[in-house]
Amino acid sequence: MMNFKKVAMAALVATTALTGAVSARDIEQVGRAAYLSALEGKRVIFIPLSQGMDLNQAWTAVWERHAERYGFDFQVRDPNMDTAAGIRALQGAIADKPDVLIVQNPDVQTYARALKQAQAAGIKILQINMQSITQTDSYVGNDWIEMGRLEAGELAKTCLAEGAPSKKIVWLAGVQTGAANIYMREGLDQVLAENPELELVSDQPADYDSEKARQITETVLQQHPDLCGIMGIWDNAEVGAGAAVVAAGKQDQVTIVTNGAGAATACESIEKGMLDVVYNFNAPIQAEIAAQQISEFLQHPERPAGSEATVFFGPITRVDKDNATGRNCWTIDQLK
Amino acid sequence: MSSAQQDRTSGRAGGSFKITQEGVVTTIAVALFVVFSLVLDKFLTQGNILALLKNVSILGILAVGMGFVVVGRGIDLTMVAVMVVGVAFAIWLSTQGFAFGEAILIGAALVAICGLITGILIAVAEVPPIFATLAMASVVYGGGRVAFNSDVLYAPSGIDWLTYIGSGILFGVPVSVIVFALVAALVALFLQFTRFGRFIYASGDNPATARTSGLPSRTVVIMQYMISALIAYGAGILLTGLVSGINTRLYNSTLIYDVLLVVVLGGISLSGGQGGVRNVLVGTILVGILINGMTIMNFSYTSQNLIKSVILLAALAFDAVINPRDEQTSQSGDI
Repeated sequence: MMNFKKVAMAALVATTALTGAVSARDIEQVGRAAYLSALEGKRVIFIPLSQGMDLNQAWTAVWERHAERYGFDFQVRDPNMDTAAGIRALQGAIADKPDVLIVQNPDVQTYARALKQAQAAGIKILQINMQSITQTDSYVGNDWIEMGRLEAGELAKTCLAEGAPSKKIVWLAGVQTGAANIYMREGLDQVLAENPELELVSDQPADYDSEKARQITETVLQQHPDLCGIMGIWDNAEVGAGAAVVAAGKQDQVTIVTNGAGAATACESIEKGMLDVVYNFNAPIQAEIAAQQISEFLQHPERPAGSEATVFFGPITRVDKDNATGRNCWTIDQLK
Repeated sequence: MSSAQQDRTSGRAGGSFKITQEGVVTTIAVALFVVFSLVLDKFLTQGNILALLKNVSILGILAVGMGFVVVGRGIDLTMVAVMVVGVAFAIWLSTQGFAFGEAILIGAALVAICGLITGILIAVAEVPPIFATLAMASVVYGGGRVAFNSDVLYAPSGIDWLTYIGSGILFGVPVSVIVFALVAALVALFLQFTRFGRFIYASGDNPATARTSGLPSRTVVIMQYMISALIAYGAGILLTGLVSGINTRLYNSTLIYDVLLVVVLGGISLSGGQGGVRNVLVGTILVGILINGMTIMNFSYTSQNLIKSVILLAALAFDAVINPRDEQTSQSGDI
């Protein structure tokens, strides 16, 4: 009896000790240690177009959060829309040899050579939202041709419907050499070819500036008082088109479709009646997808730069006055 | 001072027997206007003419401010920087709990201080205006970049007067056009009929003589830059009314050169002492007609810029041919 008690006691003690040891040693999320050590101390450099834009602020807010949580170094080298400064920043980044370089291209050509050089120097390159003709390890961003098709399709639906004011539409481009412009125009052309009765009456770049967009719209509205729709490329510029339409008292007649990062300001513009539909590419989610791509690069140092060419097109949500709320309208503070 | 008046009167009387640059530009503007009216459907409609004027009201107001400085032999390259940063600052203040009206007034004070500093650099430290204002523009814009994260700042909604100046209509004319006309009229009257206005012409025509004659040259210069900064601020508020926000990225655009071009094109010499608001209006309207016509014709951006530049260059070259510069007409300080 005594023996049995002793044995039982010993067994109990042993079990407790064993379980204790298990919980201290073995509760380890699978792969976490490897993940942490793969990211720890790595260097990521981002060369944006300009940090003044809402989409850029959203991306960096997300990436900074990842960098802080997992201990990699994240730097932004902002050329502030100056392509010459951008080239210098790229050359500087190549010399610095970070583990990952993130680039937002000003147009398809400018950085093409420097990106090749960076790749040859063994730096993995992620292009975000704006592509270069040089394809690098990864592109995360919009399917711009689809974006053009969506916006033009929206106008085709509205302006070819029964009772539409006319079949006339306007394309307010940004900068004509920008990748986004070239591809959106392709999408628009596809829709125009599918709907030959749709009439493109003006095709002018507003240079991503709301006042320029307002001026063009004001002039076009005089020529085509029965205008049906306007499609643009950035919500912050198309508010100018909206202002011209509101000033002419035609907000019920003219449908303004554009796209944007999904910032709360776009939702406010929809509420004010300056914009009708915003195809929201949700910059915070784009940034999370890009963060996945960054972590994949860092976890696979054995794959050399340029060995893959991955493309991922981010989400696009149609936002109008019925759903201009909640997560479709973020503010920077919510992302930090 | 008398020489300034002489220049002006000879320039004006010159119209009858000698072709002036203002005359050349007016002729081109009228010719374009006639051609566009004949060729372009709906160009010559009340709505389009008002749209044309509305579209150059910002450019025009800035050009009036620039002209005000250039007649005094200065140049103010800070205007666009001051415009965007001043208004952005006011909008930012309004998000920090200030009423929008108060924020606008505080913004005006900041802008006036910027003008004061520029003026002191030029009048007292005697830095050449082109360098002083170029540097100040970077300082002002750079300061703004540090202070505000975003390029585009939206005005608070529900400010009725702001919406009114942007999209209101008074007696059938857009309020923004009326604001432009008022600013132009005020500056014209000020230059023409106040003693201070005459001082500006005098010191623009010959700064050394103006100073030895006992004019308060330094005060005149400082006041000029303060006023041009405030005019730029006014243009910025109007712009905010027009599109419900301000895009500080405008600093990086060619706007400041367009403004300068309008001033020079209209016939205000960079050597100072000559011309007035009328010249600015002529230049502004030519640019307005050109842009409007080309937008209607749906010219591409690149060809628009090319045609605009060629016509403007032609106007300047034509003037140089018919009014060649010689030792008598050129002045020290010509750029």
